[in-house]
Amino acid sequence: MARRRLDPHLDSMMIFSGVGLNILKERRRQGGSRRNRLRRLAGEQSRTTSWILRGVTTRIEAGESVAVLGLKNSGRTEFVRLAAGTLIPDEGSILRRQSILPMIDLRRAFERGFTIRQNSYLLGGLLGMTPKEVEGALLEIVETAEFTSNIDKYMGGVSALTRQKLAWAIAMATKANAFAIDEMLVVGDPQFQAKCIAHVHRLKADGATFLVATDVPRKFEGFFERAIVLHNGSVLLDGAFADGLAVLRELRLANSAVEIEADIETETETETETETWKDGRP
Amino acid sequence: MLRMLVLRDLQRQYTKFRLGYLWTLLEPLGMALVMWFVFTQLLGSSNLGLQPYFLFLTVAILPWWWFSRGVSGAARVFRRNPAILRLSLLPTRIWVLRVVLVSMAEYLLSLPVILIAMLVTRTAPGPLIVLFPVAIIVQFFLMYGLAMMIAAGAAVIPDLARIVRIVLRATFYLSPILYSIANIPAGAQVLAAFNPLVGVLGLYRIGFWPTEIESLPNYGISIGITAAIFIAGSVVFHRLEGRILKEA
Repeated sequence: MARRRLDPHLDSMMIFSGVGLNILKERRRQGGSRRNRLRRLAGEQSRTTSWILRGVTTRIEAGESVAVLGLKNSGRTEFVRLAAGTLIPDEGSILRRQSILPMIDLRRAFERGFTIRQNSYLLGGLLGMTPKEVEGALLEIVETAEFTSNIDKYMGGVSALTRQKLAWAIAMATKANAFAIDEMLVVGDPQFQAKCIAHVHRLKADGATFLVATDVPRKFEGFFERAIVLHNGSVLLDGAFADGLAVLRELRLANSAVEIEADIETETETETETETWKDGRP
Repeated sequence: MLRMLVLRDLQRQYTKFRLGYLWTLLEPLGMALVMWFVFTQLLGSSNLGLQPYFLFLTVAILPWWWFSRGVSGAARVFRRNPAILRLSLLPTRIWVLRVVLVSMAEYLLSLPVILIAMLVTRTAPGPLIVLFPVAIIVQFFLMYGLAMMIAAGAAVIPDLARIVRIVLRATFYLSPILYSIANIPAGAQVLAAFNPLVGVLGLYRIGFWPTEIESLPNYGISIGITAAIFIAGSVVFHRLEGRILKEA
């Protein structure tokens, strides 16, 4: 696609220059004067543009592991989606040297009415694998995901945890070496997480690039060397991981003790997360 | 990849019901029978369309089916599974193409219905039947263009999906499906040609009823409009792609 054009001669893995992403929000004016109501009906002044990210300028070098940090709704997810190219910036530009693998909520792509095998082809295909490549990697995927039952079973009956493992295994089977990840660096039960960590460390040693949006950065100490902290739509800090952690900590403190408690809760929740299928379609 | 998506969709369609593929034939056949019964037996209008009326109906109802499925499917395409957009490295328009191709495949698979209608009415096509595939190609581009427009529009304005449904219903009666191009008053013929379906349906029918030939300029208008819709669809889609991705 033209919008994800790659430039193999780029001297960095990714170059963000003045990147901005906005969202049109319906301004909700509850009740209000008759004049306001009339205006709303006429569609006048009912939309405002708010910027999720603005003026983001940075470079990601090959082989770097960068944590994208920030409070909730600080644009972390949007940042990694922009990096992978599944969002198009409203201003500025993003140049890439090579294709960046998006690992963003992968298991949601699974179709309940397809078998595990078919879903592997589907997700593999979405991530740029050819059917032949998926076929070749199928055994490896099943093995990595520690999937023991029949792969011709329908996805509908598979637990959220297993789906996540499968999604992770498929993403790893792409043999990509540049990743834009949203909370998916390690998944599954603690045992599986250990395996994930070992795997990504191996990839890192082989020179892979990681851009990871995460709410629980402490889990990966020793993996990241750099952090980008987002706040109010712009880059608050772009530097060493330890500094990023410190800034994030201050942000969280400033954001009141209540929020911290909530964060800690979600930290434990992500591991036992359950999920219902979004669409009721068979 | 696209082929796989289309095949999977078809497979899902056909494994869901006990009669599977047979429904592809039975549904339009039943529809044509009902309409044939209402218009010839109940209302008894003999100047509507051309004879044999049953075949006349069938030839147009099948492509109409394709048209309405494709268009209404396009209105839902980005609502159905928005999560895919967040992670897919494939060009976004593939999802639109998928809907168009699935409905097209269903149409092609339902073509035996026309053979059945030919056998029942003992009618053989003339040499102009060679225009049948041309009609399919024109319809494909018409639908791809429309589908891109509608899919992009519906992703940004959810209400569009409902409007599309009403417009589809109107289009059914405004297109020569139940009636023939000859039934359109002479003064409105040129106007009617601006509905690209008029030209497409004419091309489908010309093989059986050479009199169904519309004036050549009017075909030109229909095909021109189709080309315009296709180009406009591509432009609209390209413009709105950022918005579509944001909605996901």
